[in-house]
Amino acid sequence: MKLILALLQQMSVFLVFAYLFTKSPAFRPLTSDSLRPRQKFLLYFVFSVFSILGTYFGLPVKGAIANTRAIGAVLAGLIGGPFLGAAVGFTGGLHRYFLGGFTAVACGVSTTMEGLFGGLFHLFLQRTGHSEQIFSPKIAFAVTFYAEMMQMAIILLLARPFSSALDLVEAIALPMLLANATGAALFISIMRDQKNMYDKFGAIFSAKALKVAERTLGILTRGFSRETAQQIAHIIHDETGVGAVAITNRDTVLAFIGIGEEHHQVGLPIASQLTKRAIQENKVIYADGVSERFHCPRSPSCPLGSALVAPLRVDNEVIGTIKLYEPRHRIFLNMNRTLGEGIASLLSDQLLHSRYEEQKNLLIKSELKLTQAQINPHFLFNALTTIIAVIRKDADQARDLLLHLSNFFRKNLKRSNDMATLEEELDHVRSYLKIEEARFEDRLSVHMALDPDLFPIKIPTFTLQPIIENAIKHGISNMLDQGVITLSARVEDQQLLITVQDNAGTYCPDTECGGLGMSLVDKRIKNLCGPKYGVEVFCVPEEQTSITIKIPREGCS
Amino acid sequence: MIRALVVDDEVHARDELCSLLEECGNYQILASCANAVEAIQAIHRHRPEVLFLDIQMPVLDGFELLSMIDPELMPHVVFVTAYDEFALKAFEEKTLDYLLKPVEKERLAKTTEKLKTIIQKGTHASYDSPEVKHIPCLCGNKIKLITPKETELVRSDLSGVHVVTAQGEFFTELTLKVLEERTGLLRCHKQYLVNPDCLDEIILLENGLAEIHTRFGRQVPVSRRYFKGIKETLGF
Repeated sequence: MKLILALLQQMSVFLVFAYLFTKSPAFRPLTSDSLRPRQKFLLYFVFSVFSILGTYFGLPVKGAIANTRAIGAVLAGLIGGPFLGAAVGFTGGLHRYFLGGFTAVACGVSTTMEGLFGGLFHLFLQRTGHSEQIFSPKIAFAVTFYAEMMQMAIILLLARPFSSALDLVEAIALPMLLANATGAALFISIMRDQKNMYDKFGAIFSAKALKVAERTLGILTRGFSRETAQQIAHIIHDETGVGAVAITNRDTVLAFIGIGEEHHQVGLPIASQLTKRAIQENKVIYADGVSERFHCPRSPSCPLGSALVAPLRVDNEVIGTIKLYEPRHRIFLNMNRTLGEGIASLLSDQLLHSRYEEQKNLLIKSELKLTQAQINPHFLFNALTTIIAVIRKDADQARDLLLHLSNFFRKNLKRSNDMATLEEELDHVRSYLKIEEARFEDRLSVHMALDPDLFPIKIPTFTLQPIIENAIKHGISNMLDQGVITLSARVEDQQLLITVQDNAGTYCPDTECGGLGMSLVDKRIKNLCGPKYGVEVFCVPEEQTSITIKIPREGCS
Repeated sequence: MIRALVVDDEVHARDELCSLLEECGNYQILASCANAVEAIQAIHRHRPEVLFLDIQMPVLDGFELLSMIDPELMPHVVFVTAYDEFALKAFEEKTLDYLLKPVEKERLAKTTEKLKTIIQKGTHASYDSPEVKHIPCLCGNKIKLITPKETELVRSDLSGVHVVTAQGEFFTELTLKVLEERTGLLRCHKQYLVNPDCLDEIILLENGLAEIHTRFGRQVPVSRRYFKGIKETLGF
């Protein structure tokens, strides 16, 4: 009984070490699921120390040592597998062997076997798909219990004289079985708690990171400006709770939120050496406030003491920095450091994306210019031929047509904006149609029936004209009979539907003759108003083609 | 005076060109036509020396029109177009010349000089003619396009040339000669062409004559003169 108490006491000391171990960085590898060779080596070292300590704390009993050596070996095996277990057991055992006594050999051998036993159980759990139970105190208790029983058996087998061995085992078996098993269970439970804490910490961290990602999403697609930088700095300050957040471009401060706002003013050139270094060397600079301090270059009374400066990159070129500060009296949390670096790379990705979007828009714009350049000369030459002929017969009509032509081209030139009202679009198209009507004379008639209430709705520029041009080029101009184009608009399900219908029926989707102009209009509407909107074609061959343009009722922004 | 025909689907363009040609004083304008069918008609009726031809026209364009003209009646061709890209193709077709719309007087004068020289020399116009892809037929006030493939036989009589299909008989302005040369239809008689894909049987008659029965139950006479050719084509 006395021995049990003594061993339990000893075990308590042991557990204190165990507790300290879980708080030390050496414990870190155990929080991940798979161990790398270097981490295994570290564990080997740590558990060997535990095993040897177990021997040292032991009590001499009848020429042997009652001890808690088994805990280190069994747990090493249980956590790291048979190889690690055997290695720790062998080290602990070898150490025990050199301490001498009549059980020296038996203890040396049995400790190695205990480590191996723990390791084999680790394999068993892994193979049967129960690896999460490695950190279960019950399992640890049972495994250590059986391992100790095995040790007793080995002592009886190997230690001579047998009578002394039997005598010894009778005295120490129960205390050692209980003390080691309980110790192992408690040890593993301490480790499990610590591991859970790390997991929880990780979960909080991920949640914060995701929150920042979600809230900043899309802001930078509007460009990297003072306004967007300000918004992002606000969000990061909110979510991380750091003392202050700043965002700069390559030479000036775009945003500063938090402690020291009054002297870190937006628009000032970058003064901090840390920031200059981060931009120049294209790397994260960290002044932890202890070994390297952040010194505010603007005000000696600035309370900020530590800082993390992470570069914002697009295509590996630094375009600015994001900075997280803590005041002198607060520690810069490791979590915020990692988070800060993560946010920088997140924002860099967003910037890259926004640049990509910008280029895509440019491409669409230039494609549009290209089609205009392709179409207009033909239209112009045909229009001029018509007008030259009309001059001979009817000077007034010729003058009208020239005015329409100039209106059409002026509107064409003025259209640098993405959006125009339906009324402006109609005006543009009306001039175009007047000229085409004159050109085809009685072969073309146009009906326009539109509700003036719809006129103020904003739609993308160059939406109507290419569609009508298609109807004439691929429809009416191929007809011998009279061509009729009907332009109408209505509202349905909160959508503005503009329909251009002709009676030629020559443009069907499979004939592909509508080509570039039509798909460009569709692409532009989808790009500017959303993927729900765009151009739809309905066609009855030889009878009619009807093109419907879908726009949100409230217009596009 | 150069006997000219103007073909353009746009009325103003047509009028303007006619005015320019009249002002020029070297032309006698025989007719001005708004589409390919009218043009073929006019060519057969007036036999012009020169054709001022718009390329972009509804249903049948300028190039298709050329393939439908009887080689013996082929006038010199001047393309008139607003489209530069067609001008290049027009050159390849070895047309006499091309004019860009709107047409300039000075440029037209050069074309006139060219025409005068070539007509004085008496050079006969000839162009590489592609296959006829459509046979334009008048059907009321509409133009119906019939492919040689759906044609069963073509017959000519005093009233003109008739294309016979499963749907009926249609009048066309194209001559048997053009159809014989530029479609896969076989000549079997002075007045008949037959689609070899529609043959059912050939019945031999006396005096080296024969009669073709088509798969649709029509009978077509075969004259001695063409029988040999038919036998060769069909491989016996």
